[in-house]
Amino acid sequence: MTRKILIVDDSPISRKMLKSRFPKEQTYDFYEAGDGLAGFELYKEIRPDITFMDLTMPVMDGPTAIAEIRKFDPNALIIVSTADIQIKSLSLVMDLGALMVLKKPPSSESVLDALTQSEEQLRK
Amino acid sequence: MEETTTLLSEEEKDILQEIMNIAFGQAAADLAEIINIYVVLNVPYIQVLRAIDMPEYLHNELAGHEVISMVEQHFWGDFKGSAYLIFPSGAGKELVSIMGEGVGESGFDSASFDGMEKETLMEVGNILIGACVGKVAELLDDRVTYSPPRVAIENFAIKSIPAEIFDLHSSAIVLKTVFNFNERDVSGFLFLVTKQDSINWLKNSLVTFMEKYE
Repeated sequence: MTRKILIVDDSPISRKMLKSRFPKEQTYDFYEAGDGLAGFELYKEIRPDITFMDLTMPVMDGPTAIAEIRKFDPNALIIVSTADIQIKSLSLVMDLGALMVLKKPPSSESVLDALTQSEEQLRK
Repeated sequence: MEETTTLLSEEEKDILQEIMNIAFGQAAADLAEIINIYVVLNVPYIQVLRAIDMPEYLHNELAGHEVISMVEQHFWGDFKGSAYLIFPSGAGKELVSIMGEGVGESGFDSASFDGMEKETLMEVGNILIGACVGKVAELLDDRVTYSPPRVAIENFAIKSIPAEIFDLHSSAIVLKTVFNFNERDVSGFLFLVTKQDSINWLKNSLVTFMEKYE
């Protein structure tokens, strides 16, 4: 099954880096947004299977976008992709309902782990 | 003041911005771990300037903060230059106060408080600059060594900063960030001035870095 992946990050380079780490043997439909508000709007439109969310963004930051998306869809699967690895930031996003945190720069292994955990959630 | 637009292409600036974002995230986490603070990171921002234009740039960027302190640290590798961490006046006292929480601020007399302010600025500078520059070097497959940090300017009027404090033949890659220490708004400003002869290395390294993500 081709999964719909939404990547919300203000850096086009960061979005490119993340996409490059997805397994090549699987196909994905990628959708991208450059800030939290655009990401929330796109989420409502496409209802992605998995959302990768940066934290530090203009217009609407990641924590606010996670809260908005989870309010709209309590089952939303959101993986935080961030360079902000302070413990307080990580606990904040986990409290908001993120599935896990992916530390930047992403590796093939960490992305595969995130996708594996997401698939387990999607099967529930 | 003009931006040296030809020095780095837009794509190179985007790559460097993301690398700086990762590097500063690491630096903030290191600092938070050591002095139990939370650093609110803002959207990273890269600008490339001639070093000679730095005083004017700082004056514009730090409008409202007439007096500053600045920690300076040099680094050498293929990536070489100087890092500067600027705090508006009063930030050092806030930091000492935060670090003094739990032991009682009244335990410092005036003289030792001033000494501690300088030491604290140097230590915070050492952690942030070391972690940030070190991570940039690591991501670009380089290794750097550092000079000890020093407080180059202490409670100095920003409009009086002489251009000569910077290497006038260098280019400045500026990273701006804002700190928030334990609910107390203290802004900080970190920038790197790269030596002219490492610009070509930097450009090549940015390309090599992105090739891993093709």
